[in-house]
Amino acid sequence: METVLSITGLTKHFGRINAVNNLSLEVKAGQVFGMLGPNGSGKTTTLGMLMGVVNPTGGSFTWFGQQPTNEIRKKIGAVLEHPIFYPYLSGQKNLELNSMIKQCPAENIPKVLELVELTERKDDKYKTYSLGMKQRLAIASALLNDPTVLILDEPTNGLDPMGIAEIRELIKRIAANGKTIILASHLLDEVQKVCTHFAVLKRGNLVHYGPVDEVGSGTETVEVNAEAGNLNELLLAFQGTATINRENGSYHVALRDGFHSKDLNQFLFDKGVVASHLVTKKKSLEKQFLEILASS
Amino acid sequence: MLHLLKIDLKKMTSYRTFWVVCGLYFMTLGFGAASGMEFLKWLGRTFEDFGQSININRIPLYHFPDVWMNLIWCAGLLKVVLAVMVVISVTNEYTYRTLRQNVIDGLSRSEFLLSKILTNVLLSLMSVVLIFAIGLVTGLIYSPSIELDTILTDVEFFPAYFLEVFFFLSYALMLGVLVQRSGLTIILLLLSHMIEAIITSNIDEYVPDLIPFFPMRSIWNLVPWPFPRYAFQQIQDFVSLKAVAIVIGWTLVCNYISYFKLKRADI
Repeated sequence: METVLSITGLTKHFGRINAVNNLSLEVKAGQVFGMLGPNGSGKTTTLGMLMGVVNPTGGSFTWFGQQPTNEIRKKIGAVLEHPIFYPYLSGQKNLELNSMIKQCPAENIPKVLELVELTERKDDKYKTYSLGMKQRLAIASALLNDPTVLILDEPTNGLDPMGIAEIRELIKRIAANGKTIILASHLLDEVQKVCTHFAVLKRGNLVHYGPVDEVGSGTETVEVNAEAGNLNELLLAFQGTATINRENGSYHVALRDGFHSKDLNQFLFDKGVVASHLVTKKKSLEKQFLEILASS
Repeated sequence: MLHLLKIDLKKMTSYRTFWVVCGLYFMTLGFGAASGMEFLKWLGRTFEDFGQSININRIPLYHFPDVWMNLIWCAGLLKVVLAVMVVISVTNEYTYRTLRQNVIDGLSRSEFLLSKILTNVLLSLMSVVLIFAIGLVTGLIYSPSIELDTILTDVEFFPAYFLEVFFFLSYALMLGVLVQRSGLTIILLLLSHMIEAIITSNIDEYVPDLIPFFPMRSIWNLVPWPFPRYAFQQIQDFVSLKAVAIVIGWTLVCNYISYFKLKRADI
């Protein structure tokens, strides 16, 4: 796969603070790459360096195998932190200005406005927009030049649940078109739902880097409940059981390698017990993220 | 180049403050420049001796070639209004953080600065054209005789006027880039003359040769005060090349400092 972004030893110091420390990673074409980390872990600083607004203290990076220039930035759509536009210009005029900066045809504007569903409000001043509309306009602006790479930094920050769902759908739709997306977030659920790969930063250091699929693999935990007095003993008797926890009135059974929830279900059925509640729980990214942070 | 100018104009032309400030500037410039005779008549009405000791109709305020220098000198007093507009334009980019977004979107930092400098050139040129047009019209109305070589006398003050305005706008741009806050920058801009005057008046006994090299003094020297000539005094009626060289030098320094600061900063 073609390498879109290659970072080697990228470092940024603000005075005595190491915002980003010797960061190296690669992003390949077509990946939806999540950058995770607690607040202040260096995500935005890293993206700022990649987009030419923060001067690196050391290290280097290449976009599409080339040294970074402002010409290359025109082909990358990026929203860093919160949306930034001229408040006194309408959405339409802001996009016209961006199309002049990116030197792309203004004919793309209706298309991206349609995509983010802002066509009706395009002639209103930006300062009258709600936060969700501002975020959507920022995404429209990032998509203006039909970029192959999209950088989104906390795109759902401060949105209501509906707005979050909308943005998430939008990201999925864009990813489905084969675009490479770099997504910085501290919302793990979000990354797990849309990303294919992820990296974890902690105080400017890279502490983990890999595909999201691996997170889901490994041992399963099953949440079970049934109307049977001896359920606890039955579950203990099942040969696939590693540990049992009782939480909120149901049993959380961690299974051994090679056993799945359907085996447990079959076992209970054979013993004449029908489960009233049975949920397979894969290890969540959140859990793994906390483990990674704790162990680093 | 033209592309960058268009980008900056796109930002400004939908900005109401820009139209208000520029409108006020060009209107004041235009009406003020055209109403010099009215001002003299008012002086004559207000002060009794004024009309008697000097016949105001004899003062060739708008006669070729006097009209050029008179108008240019007076117009120079208004350039600070335009400079305030430049400060607002650049400090807005910091307060709205649009400078950052412009760079993210693919404008290089030097292109951003160049777009602002080009607007400064345009505003300076517009001032020159306006003053030239008013001078030409009023000159044609009031001059007793109209000959081409008297009309063309002293027009070398127009390039000097351009330089004066352009330097001052470059200075305002630099202050904006360095300070980044509009209120503070405007105060500094308005106080520049005074601060420099305080410094120069304290050192002019010791280093008098240094005084013409101060930036505000250098634009002062570019277009000398023309009115003493009506009190039968000699004035310098040519553009001093030394003053031109000093102002060009300061203009380059200001724009380079803006460039240096923009290049180095994390935005």
